[in-house]
Parts: sequence; structure tokens; C-alpha cells
Amino acid sequence: MTVTDISQRKRFFANGNVYLPHIAVIEKIIDETPGVKTFHFNFKDEKLRKEFGFQSGQFAEYSIFGVGEAPFCISSSPTRRDHLEFAVQQVGKVTNALHRLGAGAEIGFRGPYGNGFPLEILQGKNLVFVGGGIGLAPLRSLIWNAIDNRDKYENIDIIYGARSPHDLCFKYDLDAWDKDKTINIVTTIDKEDKSWAGRVGFVPEVVEEVAPSASNAVAIVCGPPIMIRFTFPVLAKVGFAPEQMITTLEKRMKCGIGKCGRCNIGNLYVCRDGPVFTYAQIKNFVSSEY
Amino acid sequence: MSSSKIMNKKDIGKLLSQWSEEFVILVPSKEGDTTKMAKWDGKDTGFIDRSRNTTQPSKANFFPPMEKMFSFQKDKEGYHIELASSDKHKQLLFAIRPCDANALAILDVAFKDGYEDPYYLSQRKDTLLVGLGCINPYDSCFCTSLGSSPFDLTNVDIMFTDSGEEFFIEEVTEAGKELVAKTEGLREASKVDEAKASKVKEASYNRVTRKIDTRDIDKKLLACFENEDYWEKVSAKCISCGICTFLCPTCYCFDINDELVRKQGTRFRSWDSCAFPIYTEMPMENPRPEKWRRVRQKVCHKFEFFPMNFGVVACTGCGRCIRLCPVNWDITQTIESMPAII
Repeated sequence: MTVTDISQRKRFFANGNVYLPHIAVIEKIIDETPGVKTFHFNFKDEKLRKEFGFQSGQFAEYSIFGVGEAPFCISSSPTRRDHLEFAVQQVGKVTNALHRLGAGAEIGFRGPYGNGFPLEILQGKNLVFVGGGIGLAPLRSLIWNAIDNRDKYENIDIIYGARSPHDLCFKYDLDAWDKDKTINIVTTIDKEDKSWAGRVGFVPEVVEEVAPSASNAVAIVCGPPIMIRFTFPVLAKVGFAPEQMITTLEKRMKCGIGKCGRCNIGNLYVCRDGPVFTYAQIKNFVSSEY
Repeated sequence: MSSSKIMNKKDIGKLLSQWSEEFVILVPSKEGDTTKMAKWDGKDTGFIDRSRNTTQPSKANFFPPMEKMFSFQKDKEGYHIELASSDKHKQLLFAIRPCDANALAILDVAFKDGYEDPYYLSQRKDTLLVGLGCINPYDSCFCTSLGSSPFDLTNVDIMFTDSGEEFFIEEVTEAGKELVAKTEGLREASKVDEAKASKVKEASYNRVTRKIDTRDIDKKLLACFENEDYWEKVSAKCISCGICTFLCPTCYCFDINDELVRKQGTRFRSWDSCAFPIYTEMPMENPRPEKWRRVRQKVCHKFEFFPMNFGVVACTGCGRCIRLCPVNWDITQTIESMPAII
């Protein structure tokens, strides 16, 4: 279910204060690409570790104490409860500090925030995932979620691309999905590369070539903003209606709860009303600001 | 119809002393060249002669420019978080202007919506607002265009009207009535007092000459949202200094940052502004890099987005963004020059 009811998101506040983080411990770090790492973590508080719940597509504010906070989606699936995961591209102050951490380090966590993917709409449908780069992080939470509830979904198609073979994230997932006979996966890179024997081309172009059927389907798109912007028209061209296209947006965020003001698109706050939106919701609004 | 009271203006010190037994009293206070609501020193009553609104709006008393959220430190067992302590006490803001009281009602909505903001709401709790109507509005004031007036009672508990030698005192809320009932040194207002106060109010109302037309403003804004020429034109002289947002009584954007001094960490929140490019800047993208987009955001948030979400315009017509702008940017001109819907 989409977490549209905000009271449902308040269950895990520390001392009832939405701004107070929980302490979490990094358990494992995976180097995804030269600039991207995945962090496996668990809450220090055992009770919270057992009780914590979230939906695919929700995010959290992670803090390095003394450096600051930054928002990242929870990239693991709620169906796999052993630990939680988030993936981080090294681009700024907090992400640089995160990349310097080792296993055993403590971070702050507050969340989950945001609405998550609308499972009630996705169930019984053909799912077409379109991802670029680290944009696979929120999608993989939903992909594993769907795989763990395979009978609730029809076909699963994945089109995933990155700049180069080195920039493909979650290669262990790509391998696993490639082996899964119930999933069709197409992986592409932007430019020819000696070490790459697979498909070459930008994600929107590949979507046009693959031309997934829009019949009883929902496309879930996440990647760099430019990829999202070019993918929607292509999906429209192959027959997807605006209501059949879903994306999860990224904005600069501080509070995570629709107060600090910066992540709005029109009257909607990406942190509170999103980050998951249908194209129908955002297409008439500030077309150049999403 | 509640009864009204009268007191001699020169007894204001006595009145506040009485009230300060129950409340921490905040009054318009001078700080350098500016004025703001600050704790009454128990003596100075010069503020009753300053007939104009404070430079800093009273939002700062509930949502301070910089605020400690919690502290953190690390020991052998890891990190420990400690909430900033707040000294709980009843407070009374004396001589808050109707526009700023209305602004607090707008902030209440924003900070209560969905997730409650514990910092703002705990400051706001147990607060009595005693208004002082404006007898000398600024040229930049335009509250009467926003359904308000220099003597608007809507969001105050008690309202004072300066009718020359005396204050005419109206009880508005139950809490206001209770306080007035136990206050010594007030006398019942007569019909003559009432008529005198009405005259003052009317004269003041007519002194607010700046007007904007807010009819269909949301529709107009929506229609010209993509009108880049218009937004370029109305934002041309803006220097993105952010003063209009910092001193706006309804702007509530903020930033959150950490500070670490000798292993003692603090998380702060501080005012931020949609006027700054960095406000929305991400490592790879910025949705509002151009000035016109940021001015559009500011205007639309107040007159379109906030009303869409909460059914109320997030502007009270206090005029600070006009009179305190270093380059004379004028929101009323921006609104009045908006293209009509074709």
C-alpha cells in the first residue's frame, strides 16, 4: 500500500520528535562502482530492529554526526528483513563522509518518509522497470519485493543502463535477475566499450527499441532527471498513458516532512507527497522543475 | 458581544507588572536600528509611543533565526543524543500587530500539518497574544486587501486601541476574557469610549491606501506560470538577498546543520530562503537556478501553493518585504502587473 496516511509514517519517531535520529550501525559496505557504495545497516535498538517497517520507495534522512544529514531511499526490500540497505553516490559533504566510513560505524537514521510505490495499483500488472545508474536503488527494493511476491504480479521487464560497464550498480542483482526465467532484463551502456559485449545506447533509445507493451502495464522509471525527462515521451509513444508511468523524484531535502520548503513541485512536496509520483500528477506542473 | 475596558496609557507599566507575575512578557524592543519582540525589562514602556510595527516579525519568538535541536556526543558505547532543554513558561506578547498575529495562525497550520513540529509548537503553546492596533500604518502596508485590517481581532486574545490618552481594550477569546477579568485597574468602557475607539479604527483603516486585487489570484498565477517574460520582468531588480523572506512573518523555510566543537556536537536549524540558488541546489542539478524561477516560487507559494494546500493565502499584507527591500522590489506591483486571464 502507498503510505498516503501520514499517521502511518509516524510509528518510528524517536521520543515522538520527528527530527531526532535513531542510532544505526553499518554492518557491511559494498563497492558498487568507483563512486557508489551500498551500506547494510541495522538499528542499535533491538526493539526497533524487530518492529521497524517501511514500504518500497520510501526514504530516510541519514546523518553523519557532526557533518550533517542527507536523504537516500531505502534500497533493500521490506520482504527481506535481516538488515536495511541504502546506496550512496559520492557527490557532496555528507556523501563524502559516508564513503569514508567503515563497518561498525554509527550513523543517524530518521524515517521512513514519503509515500512509497503504490503496490495496490501495481499488483496484477505487468511491471516495466526503467532505471539509470544509481536510480536502480529504489527500483531494486520494489523488484525484490515483487520477486518475493511473484504470484501477485504479471510480467516483469527491466531496462537498465549506465554510462559505462563500470558504472552499472548492483551487478549481483543484475546477474540474479538475468538468471531468473520469469524476468526479462535488458542492460545497456551509453557508449561502446571494449569490455562490453552487450547492448549500447541511451536508456530512452533502448526503451523505444524494446517497445514494452503498455497493455495492463505500469512503467516505473528512476534515474538521472535527464533520463526521466526523455523516457516519458518515449513511453508515451509506445502507448503508455500518463497514469501508467510512475517515477520517484530526487530533490534537495532537509526536513523530509514537507516543512523546510525546498523540494516542492508546485504545491506538492517531493518528500511528503512523493517521492513517488505518476507522470499524470506532475506533467502539468513546472515541467522544467522536476 | 463582550464588554470592553478602558485604562490610562500611563498605567501600562503597572498593568504589565501585574501580568508578569503569571507570564513572561514580550514587548516591542529596540535592538540597534531594529525592533523586535523581546522580554520586557520591567521598566521601559517607550514602546507604546512607537506606533509602528517591529522590524522583525514575531515568528522569530517561536521559530528563532537559529535554534538548537539537540546535542550529541560519542563515548565508548557510541553516540548519545540529548534533546535541547526548553524552559516551559506561559508567555504573553504585548502589542503584537494584527498582521503578525494572523501570520502566527498561518505558521500554526504549516507546523501542525501532517507531521507536528515539536520545536515550534512547544514555543507556541501557552502563549497569549495581546494585540495593539495600528494607528499609523506604513505606506507599504496592504492588510486591508487580504481580508484584514489594522484592528483585526481574528487572531489575538485581547486587542488594545490607542485612543489618545487611553487604551480601549477588547476581550476576544476566552483566555483573553479570563485575563482581563482578573486584571486590576481597568474600568468599563462607555458608549463614548467605544465611539472614540471606532473613530480611531476607521481613520486608520482609511490610511491603508496600498491595494492589491486578490480575486482569482490563484487562477491568474496558474495561467501565467510559464510566462517567462512576465517573471523575468518582475524579478529583474531582485538581488536575491533573501531579506524579504527572512523578515516575512509567514515564511518558514529552514536549513538543518551540524556543528562539532571539541567532540560536543549540536544540530541546529536556521532560517533559509527560497531566494538563494543554493537552497535547491543538488550536486548534478538545480531546479531553480535562475532568479525569475525563485521569485516565481516565492510569489506562488504565498498566493497559490499555500492556498491550494491549506485554503488560506500566506501573506498578511504587513508590507515588510516592500519597505525593507534594498532595491525596492514590490510584491504589490508584481501582483498588479500580472497578465489578466485571456
